[in-house]
Amino acid sequence: MTTITAAPAATPLARPRAPARPSRPAAWATLARRRISLSAHTPREILAPLATPLLFALVIAPALAKIIQATGRGGVDYSTFVIVGTVGLLIPLTCTFAGIGVIVDRATGARRELLTAPIPRALIVLGNMAVAIGVSLLQVGALMAAGWLRGSHFHATASGIGWFIGAVLAFTVFMYGVAEILANKIPTQEEYVGLTPVVAILPWFIAGSLFPITALPAWLAWAARALPTTHVLALLRYGVLDHTGAGLHDIWGITSTTTDAALSLLVLASWATLITAAAIRVFTRSAVN
Amino acid sequence: MSIRLRAASNDARPAVEVHRLRKSYPGGVEAVRGIDFQVAPGEVFGLLGPNGAGKSTTIGMLTTTIKPTSGSARLAGFDVARHPIAARSVSSVVFQESVLDKALTGRRNLDLHARLWGIPRSAAASKIAELAGAFGLSEVIGRTVDSYSGGQRRRLEIARALVSEPRVLFLDEPTVGLDTRIRYELLDLLSGLRGSTGLTTVLTTHYLDEAERLCDRIAVMHQGTIVALDRPAVLLARLGAELVELRVDKDPDGTLAAMRARGLAAGDAFAVGSTLTIPLGNHSARDTITAIQGLGIDTEAMTTRKPTLDDVYLQLTGNRLAA
Repeated sequence: MTTITAAPAATPLARPRAPARPSRPAAWATLARRRISLSAHTPREILAPLATPLLFALVIAPALAKIIQATGRGGVDYSTFVIVGTVGLLIPLTCTFAGIGVIVDRATGARRELLTAPIPRALIVLGNMAVAIGVSLLQVGALMAAGWLRGSHFHATASGIGWFIGAVLAFTVFMYGVAEILANKIPTQEEYVGLTPVVAILPWFIAGSLFPITALPAWLAWAARALPTTHVLALLRYGVLDHTGAGLHDIWGITSTTTDAALSLLVLASWATLITAAAIRVFTRSAVN
Repeated sequence: MSIRLRAASNDARPAVEVHRLRKSYPGGVEAVRGIDFQVAPGEVFGLLGPNGAGKSTTIGMLTTTIKPTSGSARLAGFDVARHPIAARSVSSVVFQESVLDKALTGRRNLDLHARLWGIPRSAAASKIAELAGAFGLSEVIGRTVDSYSGGQRRRLEIARALVSEPRVLFLDEPTVGLDTRIRYELLDLLSGLRGSTGLTTVLTTHYLDEAERLCDRIAVMHQGTIVALDRPAVLLARLGAELVELRVDKDPDGTLAAMRARGLAAGDAFAVGSTLTIPLGNHSARDTITAIQGLGIDTEAMTTRKPTLDDVYLQLTGNRLAA
């Protein structure tokens, strides 16, 4: 005989009053502070991803310039051309490294605790993203400062800086979204790290970082125009280096440079929005069975 | 141990209500097959069963990390599917595995929980100090968790779950993987929580002694269903005051049938492997043993003893719980 205590009949009761819970900005700030404590609380963690881009910008680019005696578009010196182009390497590296934190959270960290917190789960992704943006801005600033100290000449105007920052922000959001998606889809840290060169470095080579995309075979140049990295590099150079917008013209071929810049920023913003939405969806779906 | 928790709600509704809750995974695996139960405010409720019985899936659905296939569940009146954030705001979970930020200090782990559950900063600080003291963590609370022992981590996780003063506390196999000494220390600690005002606890375990010691009521789960639900004493009473256990050389099922045919065993007797368990009911142990010996059964061993929850479980499921 099986003994099962009969459940009392359900009594209709008014919906209970929800207890206090944190505001969304407060919860988001808490999650961002947690991520800083875990991944970005020492200078080493912030500066280590700078090593490769700095090497490219301050050693390899001047060496290449010396050998091939190249000049960037619009009379810009080649080293400066590459320094700005190196931002397109720095941000993907920073964001893909941030993705490792997502895997660590899942494998040995407190992700399950966060999932039971009375907050929208999208905030967990957005809290991590906020730190990736902050770290990227710091690193880009450090890279540009290193270039300036080495003798690079930037032509910064208020609007130019606006295009520059807008492009950095949109590209960082896009790249962090890509990293979050991969980190939630890929089961092991080893496999994820193995994919980093493909995601972070490969697009950089064909996106106009070291040479204009018009130097590529025609079919590859068309492929490069579809890459967010190509748009961000053209916008960055337009913002602080080459007000003729040669890189933007290579993409769009429109006579109005401002229109070219707006279109590229729109492309970046659209990618950033789309990938962020996808990242949140992938995270919540992977977190809840 | 004395911990102040939120006063019990005046709300008359059950703290946990589960109605025809079911979870099927792709591939047709039915982890939970339409279960019903209710837990009263302040009650300690145990879900007992072996690995794969559906206990953790049930906890996962109640804590909104697993989506139910059908049915409903409410925590303090909040439907976990329709109002998941409200349901999470009245509950906390201690997971089977360690789920801590090990690079952070114990205090930071507790503080993060307080922040995310909306506890004001000043209240959180005093609560953390109180819990650290009550759980014997005051000396290590400022150290990073990776320097903690297994027992300290588990105590920290239970303390963390209490920072937000939940109405419902879920403990998913809280003593699994701990050595015996730490396990008993933790059981003392969990026993101490029983008196905490207003705290409803849902505990999963496959340790019978743990369930018997901690729980007001126990639901025995087997293959995704609840096969019995009652107070431990009532479940034990099903088998009477005493039973005979004997191991036979061959054909235990045939031997049991023969004993039933002669009125030596009733319907509540059962066989698991080569062991037969015969509740005595109104018979005396001496008479029963003499009668069994008179049947000429080739037995390896025969003993009389009091029934345990293990026997109740075996009778219900025919399987031995994992040790």
